[in-house]
Order: sequence, then structure tokens, then C-alpha cells
Amino acid sequence: MRDRRLFYVVPLLALLVPAFTNPYTQFVVNLMLVYILVTVGFNIVMGYLGQLAFANTAFFGIGAYTTALVMVYAKLPFLLALVLGAAAGALAGFLASVTALRGIRLYYLAIITLAFGELMRWVYIHADQVTRGTDGLPVPVASVFGFALDSEMRKYYVFLAIVVLVVKGTSNLLRSRVGRAIVAIRDNEFATASLGIPTAQYIVLAFVWSGFIVGIAGGMFAILIGRVVPESFGLIELIVQFAMVMVGGLGSLAGGVIGAVALTALPEYFRRFPGLEEMFFGALLVLILLFLPKGLVSFFARYLPVFREPLYRE
Amino acid sequence: MFLQLVVSGISQGAIYALVALSLTLVYRATTIVNFGHGDFVMAGAFVVYVFVILAGMPFLPAALLAFALLFALGLAIQRGFIEPIKAGPHIGFAMMSIALGYVLRGVARAGWGREVLPMPRVFDFPPIFLGELVVTGESLVIVGVVAVLLAVFFVVFYRTRTGKMIQAVYQSERGAALVGINVRRFHCIMWGFGVALGAVGGVLVAPFTLLHPDLGASFLIRGFAAMTLGGFGSLWGAVAGGLLLGIAEQQLGAYVSTKLIDIAAYLVIIAVLVVRPVGLFGRVAAVRV
Repeated sequence: MRDRRLFYVVPLLALLVPAFTNPYTQFVVNLMLVYILVTVGFNIVMGYLGQLAFANTAFFGIGAYTTALVMVYAKLPFLLALVLGAAAGALAGFLASVTALRGIRLYYLAIITLAFGELMRWVYIHADQVTRGTDGLPVPVASVFGFALDSEMRKYYVFLAIVVLVVKGTSNLLRSRVGRAIVAIRDNEFATASLGIPTAQYIVLAFVWSGFIVGIAGGMFAILIGRVVPESFGLIELIVQFAMVMVGGLGSLAGGVIGAVALTALPEYFRRFPGLEEMFFGALLVLILLFLPKGLVSFFARYLPVFREPLYRE
Repeated sequence: MFLQLVVSGISQGAIYALVALSLTLVYRATTIVNFGHGDFVMAGAFVVYVFVILAGMPFLPAALLAFALLFALGLAIQRGFIEPIKAGPHIGFAMMSIALGYVLRGVARAGWGREVLPMPRVFDFPPIFLGELVVTGESLVIVGVVAVLLAVFFVVFYRTRTGKMIQAVYQSERGAALVGINVRRFHCIMWGFGVALGAVGGVLVAPFTLLHPDLGASFLIRGFAAMTLGGFGSLWGAVAGGLLLGIAEQQLGAYVSTKLIDIAAYLVIIAVLVVRPVGLFGRVAAVRV
């Protein structure tokens, strides 16, 4: 009951946002929406399933490139391209889960998924006849049922609808039998298996779902930026996404949203000073880890019961 | 041609071996994989640059000073940043090491902007000709220094009382604490050595490469690849893995495609973990439930 209120109030308030923005700030807000999906997807594997998997930028890039390539070469409409991008992300999630099932866990999983992401980036660069390499692939203006997404505000409403749907769906999934099984695997895989829960299936499901959501985020990112560049999916991007999850709160959907909103907006202020952005980012992470290890959401939850989540690890 | 590539592969591989060994040292001592290690390698190179170019010091004292500074940095990191979150999940350690590395990278970028810094050559040894083989002065220096460091390290590790203490803590922290070894201090010292040894890698490449704040990432990945190849957590494996990776990169680059040099490390990681996750020299560990 508690967080249901959030699900209705926040999107309704969000409808009003374009009244207060100019095209640049609206662009930043759109970017926040993209990163909300990114962190929600990342959180499923890292926070709820408890696996140190860094394939997130791979899912993100695969989603973005698939959506863009399908729009450019097959001339498919945006929503169909987005579904294909999400499917490609889900497929990448399946591949990542296979490594986890082979007993590659913890740091091994972190390193192999890191390698997977960097390998994909190499593919984007060197498949340059299709992807145009480091120059980037320009993405045509998307349209949804004849409604051209040619302004930041129009993109915003479409993105908002997608984000609300996906976050609500994820929240429901996590509250169901599936979500509880996933959290049980995080807390004790062997005990979960001994209860007769097919752990392997749920691990695959969590990765696929994560890849699917981040794939959607990738597709949205592609049309938001208007050009897909390999550099958008490198190690620095991975650090930013990881930081969003940690700063917001590991294993908390609301935390992911808070982290995405906070860390998309703040670095924009520091862009002008070389190095300052990184120092600020790193220092913020260190402080959060030392003093608020459960993320900003735990700070809010202390005072506002709306933010308390039943599956949140204490 | 083949042998020539082996020679240049070994001098690259020596650096990877050093990075992998220092990663392994910290991993074995504290079960933490330092995802910021590449940035410490970068820091080593930059500190030497500052001392040599801006302070006008000769290379050798500058290198020693860099070693000492980064040793102190490693100590401080364990004491100030790792110890307090010890009870938390592993994801916290991963994030902490990434965050610290990120701060270092920011410091380097704030100091030097986005330019690439060339460092003047400090050694000028003539190349040596062995038949058709050419061994450059720089690879001699790198391989020589790394060989000496490794020899000292392994002698200390296997032949001295200090080494025995280190091995004792590796085997059982609680057991070591019971026989009177100060485990906390040991963790600090291992972080110090881990960071400083990695930084030596940066110090060694500094005179022969272009310096930039993002230098570290490629060393980190190659260090991981070397560790994985040799067997995660094996000290000798890290060294062997580093050398093999260096040689493999050169061979792939020459015989297949230069594009592959960049991804040899990723391919090694994926292939090894999928086919034989314990690596070449690792042992299969029993899983405790």
C-alpha cells in the first residue's frame, strides 16, 4: 500500500515538468528518465539478485545500437525498433546469465562481464561499415503513431509513459513470487535451492529482465541523443551507472530512481572544469559508502515511510 | 620475426605481470579486487613526471620517492576507506576502489587538463643485437627492474620470517591473529605494497609512453586478464599470465590483425573463464556452504 501512493503521485507531478523547463533542462530531464530505467535494470541484477555483474553498459549499448540500426537500415517505426532493441538487450542478458550459471560468480563475474562490455565497444568501433565506427551513427527523428518526436518536450511524454510502465511492471514483478525468489537467491542461494525453488531459472530470468529494461533505456538514449557513439558505452559510463545504483540505494527501486535523478543533474554543473567532475563524483561515492552505505534512499526512509520497501535489505 | 615478437612481448608482459602480481597481493591479503588499480598505475607515472620534470630530480630518486608516496597512499586507503566498510557486502569494496581510482583520475585531469604529456627519455641505452634479434634499451630496463623486483618479492615471500607471516595470514586470518600476528597492520602493509608495486609499473612505462589521465584502464584490464589466465589468486600464475598475455598480444597483432591487440585481454578473460575458470595454474577450490 505504501509505495503505491508514490506510483501515482510522482508521475502525475512529472506531467507538469515541461512547464518549468527550457529545451536544455528538458533534455537533462529526459536523460534522467533514461537513467532511471538504466538503474532499475542494473539494480535487478546487482541489488536484488546480488550479483556483481557489470554487463550493464553492454546491454545499454546493444539496445541503443539495435534500435538505431533497425531505424536506419530497416526503416522500422520507433516503437517497433525499441522492442527489438529491448529484445537484443534481453538476449545479451541471457548470455550474461549463462556465465553466472556456469559458476562464474563474484569477481570472476565482474571481470567477465566487464570484458563483455568492452568487447562490444570494440565491435561497435570496428564494424564501421554498419555502425560508422567512432564517428557515430546518426539516428533519424523518431515518430510514434505519426506523432513526430522532434522536440524535447514530445520525447519527454513518450519517455515518461514508457518509464512509468516499466518501473510499475518491475515493481509488480519484484513483489510477486518471482521477485521473492530472486531476493531469496541473493540472501542464500543454497537455502533457496533446498526449498525446491529452481534457482537457475530465476537467475536467468533476472538477467534477461535486466537486459530487457536496459535495452529499452538504450533505445531511448539513441533517439534522445540523436547519434550513437561507441564512447557512450565505455568504462566511464559503467562507473556512472554503478554509482547511480550505489548512491541511490542498492536493492531499492526508489533508490535507483533517486540515484539516477541526482547523478544525471549534478555532473552537468561540473562539465566545464576538467577533472572536477571526476573528483566530485569519486568523493561523493566515498562519502556515501562510508556514511550512508544503503544509499540516499535509506536517508529518506528514515523520515518518510513512503520510501520503506518490504524487500529492502536491512 | 617470431622471436623478435616474443622479446617485445616479454617487455610488455613484464609490466602486466607486475600489475597482476600487485592486484593478486591485495586480493590474497584482503579478498578485495582493486578495481581502481589502473589509476594507481597512472598515479605512479604522474608522480614521477612531477618529480622529474617539474621538480628537476633525477629519475632514480624520483622513482623511489614515488614508490614511498604510493606505499603511504595504500596504507591510508586500507586504514581510512576499506577498514570502515569491512562488514559490508563485496559490492561496497568494488565501488570503493572504483571511487578512489576515479578521484585520482580527476586529480590528474585537473592538474594537466586533457592534453597528452610526453616525458623526455631518461634512459638512453643502446639496443643490443643478438644475431637477428634487436633488444631495445627500454625493454632491457623494464624487464631488468621487474625481474629484480619479482626475485626480491618471491625470496621474501618464501624464504623469510616476514614471508611466513604473510603466508600464515593468507591461509587463515583468525589463526594468524591467534599466534600474535597483527592482522590489521598486515592488511595495511599489503595494501601499501600492492599500490606501490602497481605504481612501479606506471613509473617504468612513464619514460616510454605518452601520459594521460586515462592511462590506467588498459592496465587494469590487462592485469585482470593476466590474473585470470594464470589462475585468480595465484602469485606465480599472475606473473606467468602477464608474460603470456604480453607475448600473445604481439603475436596476434603481427600475424592476425593489429586491431586485435586491444581486445586480446578481453578475449583471454572470456575464453579462460568459460573454458577453464581456474586458469592455467589455479586449483579448484571447494565451495563451503
